[in-house]
Amino acid sequence: MTIASHPYAFIALFVAVAAAFPLGLLLVCRLWVWAFQPPKPSPVKNGIYECGLEAKGDSWIQFKAHYYLYAILFLIFDVEVLFLLPFAAAFNVLSWGALFVMLAFIFLLAEGLVWAWNRGHLEWK
Amino acid sequence: MSALHLCLIFSTLLFALGLAAALSRSNAILVLLGVELMLNAANINFIAFWRFSPQFASNPHAGVIFAIFSIAVAAAEAAVGLALIIAVYRHYKNVRLQDADQLKG
Amino acid sequence: MNATINYAELVYALRPEIALTLGLLLALGYDMAFGRRMSDCARRGVAVLIGIVTLASAVFQTLHTNVPPVGHAAYWFHGAFVYDTLAHGVRLGVFGLSALTLLLIAGSIPHSALRTPHFKHPAEYVAIQLLATMGFSLMAVSNNLLIAFLGFELASLSLYVMAGFDKTSRASAEASLKYFLFGGMAAAFMLFGFSLIYGMTGTIVLPEIARALAVQGPSPLLLVALVMVLVGFGYKAAAAPFHQWAPDVYQGAPAPAAALIASASKLAGFAFFARLLFSGLGTVSGDAINFGGPAGWIMAVIIISAASMLLGNIAALAQTNARRLIAYSAIAHAGIMLLGVIAVRAEGAGPLFYYALTYGIATIGVFGVFAAIERTAPCQRISDLAGLWKRSPFLALVLFVCVLSLAGIPPLAGFFGKFYLFAAALYLNGLMSPAGWLAFLAIAMSAVGLYYYLVILKAALVTNATAGTSASTEKIRVPLGTVIALATSAALTIALGIWPDVVLGLFK
Repeated sequence: MTIASHPYAFIALFVAVAAAFPLGLLLVCRLWVWAFQPPKPSPVKNGIYECGLEAKGDSWIQFKAHYYLYAILFLIFDVEVLFLLPFAAAFNVLSWGALFVMLAFIFLLAEGLVWAWNRGHLEWK
Repeated sequence: MSALHLCLIFSTLLFALGLAAALSRSNAILVLLGVELMLNAANINFIAFWRFSPQFASNPHAGVIFAIFSIAVAAAEAAVGLALIIAVYRHYKNVRLQDADQLKG
Repeated sequence: MNATINYAELVYALRPEIALTLGLLLALGYDMAFGRRMSDCARRGVAVLIGIVTLASAVFQTLHTNVPPVGHAAYWFHGAFVYDTLAHGVRLGVFGLSALTLLLIAGSIPHSALRTPHFKHPAEYVAIQLLATMGFSLMAVSNNLLIAFLGFELASLSLYVMAGFDKTSRASAEASLKYFLFGGMAAAFMLFGFSLIYGMTGTIVLPEIARALAVQGPSPLLLVALVMVLVGFGYKAAAAPFHQWAPDVYQGAPAPAAALIASASKLAGFAFFARLLFSGLGTVSGDAINFGGPAGWIMAVIIISAASMLLGNIAALAQTNARRLIAYSAIAHAGIMLLGVIAVRAEGAGPLFYYALTYGIATIGVFGVFAAIERTAPCQRISDLAGLWKRSPFLALVLFVCVLSLAGIPPLAGFFGKFYLFAAALYLNGLMSPAGWLAFLAIAMSAVGLYYYLVILKAALVTNATAGTSASTEKIRVPLGTVIALATSAALTIALGIWPDVVLGLFK
């Protein structure tokens, strides 16, 4: 089997093209900025609207940083289900060892929750 | 073109898009999103290969198990990433990467 | 469904990891129960003590594992884990290096009112470091892409957190974010590469991959997979051109975290890299013996290795920041260790392991000295080291030994590491092979490296702290933990140089 006729050959080519795609785009952007858009920032140019009322503040709303701490804790327990579901589906054919391993897993997760609780990260400040 | 090839092309595109986002965005959270896209592209590969190509008999479910574990790893990575972004935010009051230029040389 | 899963075997295989888990639970639990009532100093001491005892028990568990004779390997849990001399040595090595860096914590607390004290949460720091150590240990025994990826990510995620642990420091936060963003991309590349390898071979167990690839031979997709895996490992090893994070992290991270990133992380990373390349992808390695042989990953490793040596050594010449200088020298050392990966073919993993271990010990010594100086005065620029021999003769002596070892001066361990490694590379086919020429380049570049190591030593040992320089003249009081860690690393650097067979003998 030669390399060109390999069944995966075109995928390798595709990967090469796909890698060239973002890099090429970045290069074209750089060239465009360099040729046509020299940066000349001014308050008018940086404004959000060309006419009308002047914008107040940023257009991005920011969440309180504390919210992300909840998001992180939620994320961990959300993904835990990923391991529990196959375990539950195969529960009838599994041995005691599997149960022990799973309990150890849940214990480690619970330990994380206890730690966060103890440190007061569950209280909204 | 078989289903496997379609899946592989899709995952490669997803990977390239994630890489483009990770390299070109200046907001740390959007870079994180790009990295997550790249990880999920690899997960699609695992599932596609598991479903459509011949397996070694020793472990016929390796692909899907790998995908499950790497989703969990991606979640852990997102958690750590968010925590670090908060840490940076506390010092700089924003998460723009071009402002984080204190270390150089 | 395979009904004969033997969980007892799993527990046997992972005894050191289980010891580490129990230890980190103990550290966290003790701190939660009694930490609030203790002084900061006692709290830190207890956390470090629990960490050291845990690592000692992990070493104990490792020593009570049956090691197969050299050249043989035991496989556990359906081939998920492999145990041979390399795995045994790397496990012991990472536990030891991790214990040394734990001892540095006590010394890295600012003594004066220069800054508000960081390390407010010593138990969490110790727990995360134990997690990182668990990741290294898993990488050492993994025989399967999944376990390797999990170990790799466990170690990486813990190291990101450790790099950003100093909440009061802007540099620490920035360093950890950069480390994380580069690392996330590298992990994604590696995972994509793993998925392609899985797709081509239908298995994730390394020897089965080797068998399947021997039948298929090289293919374009395999090349893509190899390049992606190399990107991931190049990042982990801080090899050029994936090194951009290293100087920032070495500069910004707390000294003990930087020491762990520079030592144990490298040792475990290179050990797994060598295992993956030789026992998983060995059949598509290409030819390191002759020019013009079939292409494979060896050519790519040679290119990365040469680029790292050139970039690391030359960029280090221009540095004025001591930590960044050590970072660039680490990039150069990563290049030499990549040469060691190629030389595994000739002499086995012995020279690579010896080099990575002694390099780690010497780097911990250097970072420990920086950490101890930082207690009284900032220690970033090379000129900050001025007059060190007057401020603390002990620190100056340790710095002298460790830096000379990094430079490769006999009779220190660094010299013998380089010697055995270059000998193994030249043994492949002398100067008739690409590896031989790479070894030649490495020798030339080591001579360049000597210059910047001597710059550090000149600042520390010859220059006086005058009124014009920023360095303080205050005497440095070194805390006990740091004294133990520094004395151990300096002593090991000398002892392993005089008796290299203590380590190399394991592999014969």
